[in-house]
Amino acid sequence: MAHLHDGTLRRMLDDPDAVTTPEREHFASCAECRARQEALAADARSAALLMATPATSFDAGAAYKRISAQPSRPRFGFRLPVIRAASRPVLAGVALAAVLAVAVTAAVNVSTIFAPQTVTPVPVTLADFQSLPDLSSYGDITWSQQPQPSVGITKAEAEKIAGFSAPNAGTLPSGVSSTVTYGAMPQTTGVFKFSAAKAEAAAAAQGKTIPKMPAGMDGSTLTLTMGPALVEIYGDLKSSSADSQGMPVPHLIVAESVRPLVTSTGVTVKQLEDYLLAQPGITPQLAADIRAIGDPTTTLPIPVPIQFATSSKVTVQGVPGVALGDNTGVGAAVVWIKHGDVFIVGGSLKQSEALTVANALR
Amino acid sequence: MKSEQDSFEALFKAEYARVAGIANRVLFDPQEAEDVAQEVFIDFHRLHSATSPYAAPWLYRAAAHTALNRLRGRRRRERREHSQAVEEGSRAIDPQQVAEANEDRRRVRRALAKLPARPAAVLVLRSSGLSYSEVAEALGVRTGQIGTLLRRAEEALRKEVTRGTSA
Repeated sequence: MAHLHDGTLRRMLDDPDAVTTPEREHFASCAECRARQEALAADARSAALLMATPATSFDAGAAYKRISAQPSRPRFGFRLPVIRAASRPVLAGVALAAVLAVAVTAAVNVSTIFAPQTVTPVPVTLADFQSLPDLSSYGDITWSQQPQPSVGITKAEAEKIAGFSAPNAGTLPSGVSSTVTYGAMPQTTGVFKFSAAKAEAAAAAQGKTIPKMPAGMDGSTLTLTMGPALVEIYGDLKSSSADSQGMPVPHLIVAESVRPLVTSTGVTVKQLEDYLLAQPGITPQLAADIRAIGDPTTTLPIPVPIQFATSSKVTVQGVPGVALGDNTGVGAAVVWIKHGDVFIVGGSLKQSEALTVANALR
Repeated sequence: MKSEQDSFEALFKAEYARVAGIANRVLFDPQEAEDVAQEVFIDFHRLHSATSPYAAPWLYRAAAHTALNRLRGRRRRERREHSQAVEEGSRAIDPQQVAEANEDRRRVRRALAKLPARPAAVLVLRSSGLSYSEVAEALGVRTGQIGTLLRRAEEALRKEVTRGTSA
């Protein structure tokens, strides 16, 4: 029999019964294996001493009270596969750009509704992300119910929360695990109330001057309705597939959400667009790109970070869509709106694979 | 039926000491270890259901990786070491002993920060009392690989510490 592996010899130190009878017999008769084990036992003893820590007790009850006392944060259900720690500020910027873009497209009065029917890419740069104003400085948002996705639930539970059937991705691209984790979020509504005083104070605190809010905007509200939404995350989240922080990385995400709706009181689309695009940090190029969207009440802008992703207009299921990423397999996504629902298919895929899944989605 | 919040509270209370212990094994600093543990639980709560079957392994792995990542943050580490040395020095009876203990901890932390991620995590989790199968489940590897990874980590730790001592 061949000599025992280091791993086997090491395990024998902790659990002599974890080896097979032939291995045990070999070990008993092999001076070389015994000598090797003595050497690695010395390292094991040394490591145990080095890694020893003084006995410490941790009070779970007190710790729970501490975290319970912290302001609650919405539970956003999943992390896209391309997201890494270093890119989180960028993604926060993407999210902000999306909110900004949606806000810009808000409708004239409370009876007029922003109801996107199609999507279009809006190129944004890293500089755009970094210099975007923080919308929370312009007023306060109140949620009727915090956006609170549930993840790790059953398909039936997800469908019950969303109120529609989970999309069927059909045949998966090779390499994509068929293990699915379901998530869902009920419909949620937030009311954003503009505050001129807050905006001016926030700007002054940063040594900036901002344009005066147009008449009627101070105290007026935008009502944003999101969801319900359902997400399918393909990939074994327990497996060794992990990012640099050791967190699970899904292979494919399929999401469907009822399109967002925005209603407005007090300000017109034009006023809102002019005011937001005149804020410090909005580059002329970004402003021009947002103004070029077309019909702001029916188009959902998709911010595309041009340093990190490419985008192209595609046709998905017979309707216009936006494809992000490329064919390297690092990451790609397709976004489109059909029958009033926004669909996203993305993951660590080639763009062509993402498009195939998107077109096959039922 | 338990609400999600009740399930999370139960999970927190059942696993907190172990998760904080894993972080403390890396950081040698109970207060920072508690910061890491709480961060890990909050992240888990935002991303997953408390009733997920992978809750405990996920928390163990995240605690080890988060603590190791913190260790790799050089500036933070140096600040901590400085304040710890001052604090311990002020209450110590034997300054020589304290200096040696601090130096030992510094060497171990430096060595841990240099180990490859997976062997380092195996060493931390195993030192924290997890069984071979628990370590394997936390890191998503086969139980049969743990002995090899552990051996590799212990050998690398010895080399790094020796190199640090002779440097």
